[in-house]
Amino acid sequence: MGGRTLRALAPLAAVAVVALLPLVVTDRFLLKVFTFAGINALVVVGLALLFGHAGQVSLGHAAFVGLGAYASAYCTVRLGWPWPVGFAVAGALAALGGLVLAMPSLRLKGHYLAMATLGFGELMALTFQEAEPVTGGVDGFGGIPFPSLGPLEVGDAAALYWLVWAVVGVAVLAAYNVTSLRPGRAMRALHGSVPGAQASGVDVVGVKVRTFVVSALLAGLAGALYAGVVGFISPSVFTLTASVTFLAMAVLGGTGSLAGPLLAAVLLTLVQYIDALIPGLPQEASQTIQSYREDIYGLAIVLVVIFAPRGIAGLWSRRGGRGEAA
Amino acid sequence: MDELLQFLIAGLKNGSIYALVALGFTIVFAATGAINFAQGEFFMLGGMLGVFFAGLGLPLPMAAVAAIAATAAIGAVFELLAVRPIKGGDPLRIIMVTIGGSVLLRQMALHLFGPDELPLDPFTEGPSLKLLGAAVERQTLWIWALTGLAVVALALLYRRTTFGRAMRATSIQRDAARLVGVNARAMVTASFALAAALGAVAGLAVAPLTQASFHVGAGMGVKGFAAAILGGLGSPVAAVGGGLLLGLLESLTAGYIDPLYKDAVALVVLLVVLFVRPQGLFGGSGRVKM
Repeated sequence: MGGRTLRALAPLAAVAVVALLPLVVTDRFLLKVFTFAGINALVVVGLALLFGHAGQVSLGHAAFVGLGAYASAYCTVRLGWPWPVGFAVAGALAALGGLVLAMPSLRLKGHYLAMATLGFGELMALTFQEAEPVTGGVDGFGGIPFPSLGPLEVGDAAALYWLVWAVVGVAVLAAYNVTSLRPGRAMRALHGSVPGAQASGVDVVGVKVRTFVVSALLAGLAGALYAGVVGFISPSVFTLTASVTFLAMAVLGGTGSLAGPLLAAVLLTLVQYIDALIPGLPQEASQTIQSYREDIYGLAIVLVVIFAPRGIAGLWSRRGGRGEAA
Repeated sequence: MDELLQFLIAGLKNGSIYALVALGFTIVFAATGAINFAQGEFFMLGGMLGVFFAGLGLPLPMAAVAAIAATAAIGAVFELLAVRPIKGGDPLRIIMVTIGGSVLLRQMALHLFGPDELPLDPFTEGPSLKLLGAAVERQTLWIWALTGLAVVALALLYRRTTFGRAMRATSIQRDAARLVGVNARAMVTASFALAAALGAVAGLAVAPLTQASFHVGAGMGVKGFAAAILGGLGSPVAAVGGGLLLGLLESLTAGYIDPLYKDAVALVVLLVVLFVRPQGLFGGSGRVKM
């Protein structure tokens, strides 16, 4: 089998593995871990688009996830709206937040967006805590129903897993089309040379803003899924730490690719739940890993950016320098 | 009237701190064209290391000097290990590295000094002073004095010393500076050390009022950056002006509207300035000048 055939079959094989996993993995907790991996993957796909294809960084994506989570919780619990409506509101609200941040920040040359998202993240974390009538404050927001489509409730562990990964699949497919068709070429041109892209007639600001809004939208949808899967949300989940985690996943995954970030999202999520994966792991070892988790993310970002700017995607990609972050 | 004066004093107190952090952003931006996300962590380290050295039994002035020197050294090492290896000095990659590095610095502080808020003695003990009916804490006077001292020292460094001129030359035209014999790489390292020292002065000066804690870096980073943008990223004078103005806006918002909105001010300022006047209030052309 030649390399080209292998490359064509690899995505199909990946889809098959993801789709069939619940038939093999019957442990409910483990299945939940893989469901969380899918939720993280959804956020990371958006971040990878932003980072890899538009050359921008966000330190506030946990806030968009939170915005989506609280929006869908509020719509379904307090307003009694059907789940799909809450899901759509979650995405729309996050996208709107993204637009408000991106419009001023991306008009300018430079990386003001990164700092704006950091500030936005801190502000939203505070809002989730203080806006008690809406969010439930530090005590959190509970009793969130499982996702449902009309009369069909998605409550079973395997069904939740499939729902989350189906959304990831749609997002990846959309992202793949976006990146390989004209808008994607425009985005990559931005990463290469902004004046060059402008000279070729690319609406630089428009592309950047749209990319950021799409990434915020995906994060909002991920938040709605998270709220539905767990049934309870609290401000402690949607913090800078989570934003850095998403960023580490995207950076480790690499630029100019979607498979890399997806793989990185799954791998780093598994690290989070390492005690569930290795049953015999002594409690001390797993505690040590947990307390150094953020160190691992920080170190991963530093090392990848210095030594392997194309991330793990660079390991198998032979497209010469196309995704190089330089 | 007394109330307004009290708010103004509080605003200028916090504003001085923002000014020092903003100066750090300005210096590194001038040298690299990148935003240093670890700037807030240098602020955090100043307070934490001050508490640490004081805890070793050093008298407070010596503990303070040790904390500032240690933070400056950490800033230099940070540049040598993480920023210098980046070929071509791509700002996006420098930013990414400083993000990862800021997480590492914060975690390092957490592992070494623990998660608790740590107290530091005021530099001078004693009751607050009265000024036209408003109370001024003694530590606030220290903050103003240290900020003033740092700004004057920085101005003298830039204007009067060969080293300072070399730094300015590098920030204006890196290649031209190298042609006339300036070691441009060393100047980037020096800019990180200087920015770290300024952050440490701020963290140290405010620690007796707020206590030192490992997690305050990111929040201070946003505020310092908002101050730098408000003034106009590029000029030290603008950074100081932006810092004081942001402090005043915050304290007036907290005083007359609601304390809850105090922390939102910096983000709103950041976004509004980027949208309306990206060169900042005091920035002329938006060009980097030192």
